[in-house]
Amino acid sequence: MIQFFGVSKLYPRERLALDDVSVSIPRGQFVFLKGPSGAGKTTLLKLIYRDELPSSGRILVNGRNVAAIPRKKIPYLRRTIGVVFQEFNLIERKTVFENVSYLPRILGASVREQKRIAYRTLARVALAHRMGAFPSELSGGEQQRVAIARALINEPEILIADEPTGNLDPELSREIIRLFIEINRRGTTVVLATHDPTIIHRVGHRILVLDRGRLVRDRVLTSSRDTFGVRGDSHLPPEDAAVAERAS
Amino acid sequence: MSPLQALAFFLREASLSLRRSWKVSLLAVFTIAVSLFIGGLFLLLTGNLARIVADWRSEAKAVVYLVDGAAPETVEELAAAARARPWVRGVTKVSREAAEERFAAAFPQLAELLSGWDRGPLPASLEVGFDPEGAEGAALRSWLEELRAHPAVAMVDDDRQWLRQVETLIAVLRGSGLVLGGVLLAAAIFTIASVVRLTAYLYRDEIAVLRLVGATEFVVRGPFFVEGFIQGLGGGLLAVAGLYAAYELALSQSLPTILGSVLLSGFLPPAELLGLIALGGLAGLFGAFISMRREEESAGA
Repeated sequence: MIQFFGVSKLYPRERLALDDVSVSIPRGQFVFLKGPSGAGKTTLLKLIYRDELPSSGRILVNGRNVAAIPRKKIPYLRRTIGVVFQEFNLIERKTVFENVSYLPRILGASVREQKRIAYRTLARVALAHRMGAFPSELSGGEQQRVAIARALINEPEILIADEPTGNLDPELSREIIRLFIEINRRGTTVVLATHDPTIIHRVGHRILVLDRGRLVRDRVLTSSRDTFGVRGDSHLPPEDAAVAERAS
Repeated sequence: MSPLQALAFFLREASLSLRRSWKVSLLAVFTIAVSLFIGGLFLLLTGNLARIVADWRSEAKAVVYLVDGAAPETVEELAAAARARPWVRGVTKVSREAAEERFAAAFPQLAELLSGWDRGPLPASLEVGFDPEGAEGAALRSWLEELRAHPAVAMVDDDRQWLRQVETLIAVLRGSGLVLGGVLLAAAIFTIASVVRLTAYLYRDEIAVLRLVGATEFVVRGPFFVEGFIQGLGGGLLAVAGLYAAYELALSQSLPTILGSVLLSGFLPPAELLGLIALGGLAGLFGAFISMRREEESAGA
């Protein structure tokens, strides 16, 4: 669960990135974070995985006050949160396997174990057959799937994605969003920042709209739900359903 | 991650980085090698000089030159008085003839200088050998002053006076060497810090990913510390190898001078060699530490 209580973030030179934001994201929810450039989407995401500290207010992630976590303990928080960026942030000189298996490696897993975990995770994003490839040999969509696999390697409770389809064409964007829906169906909380309204309106789910640092809208879209080909029952968790009910 | 696994991880990452940026790494190794070589050279030369001076000091003596015609009883009294002193190890009487014989034996080409005199030019003397442990202090100095004032004594030549001057010279040389070596070592540390910083800059994307996925700072920085340590250690080993090669080369050239034989009387002892190598390693580690501090500040981690 992610909770923001009156959170503001003021950058140097008096630039207010977030202004008194209060929001609660229950476990297992799929949340879109929408807003124009400079609305504060990236700042909000960074606050969740403690890449930034709030200027005021309180942020709880799974009940822990992230601002109060000592610096030495931040890595343990981050191991529970997967992060995906628009730019993929893959290391060009490393293979797909090496890119994906950073966490098992630093946790001391044997190479065999690393390969087993990497294979299993890459299979989830349908890239197990490209373990030996370098990022430059992959398409944009494949690279983003590798980045998602890296974020998923430790089965995180929360997956944060900052404009993950920003560099992809519509077809690849669809593919990536489908993957996020699948991941969410397995119980992972997904917070996805985007400014692409077509994705949001087709997928539905809860939408948080930021404008100049303020949370101006919190609603759930249920009417035009498109699962992007992901089969199965509605995966809207009870908390989502409650928010949807309130919103309607 | 166990300490052994961490060490293996650091070594693997550091060796990978050293291989990838071998040119700048080599520059760091050379700069540290040059500074340690110069420091080691001063250590070698002044160490040999100090050892020789210590040997000389153990054999130090005062030569009491007697006036021409000093009465044998007076000479005997002076010798007995000297023997009575606690710091005197022995007294040898050297007659004019014995002095001439010694001179002729030591400097055969100059033996002719002694001929043609009515009486030999070299005075008789008393050679007073000192106990090296006790031959210092006000009592000794005051006794030597008494001797100088004695009517039967023409001059007192105290070896320890010039030995002290040589020792002062050695201290100055050693100090200069330490200062020069220290300055060069600081430059080498700066170079290593820059190289490690450059490596950290080149790998900033990977460092960011490591921090993002939850690597501790120990894991993030470990490879850089190992890299700096390896560079420093490499510089230390290169400096020691260079010193040994220079020493052997100088020996093979068989420097004919007394100074040459004094300065090259022995190579650095193993403890000092290990000290130089360890100093290189520590300098590398320190350089990496400085650069990681800067990296941390700029990353705002």
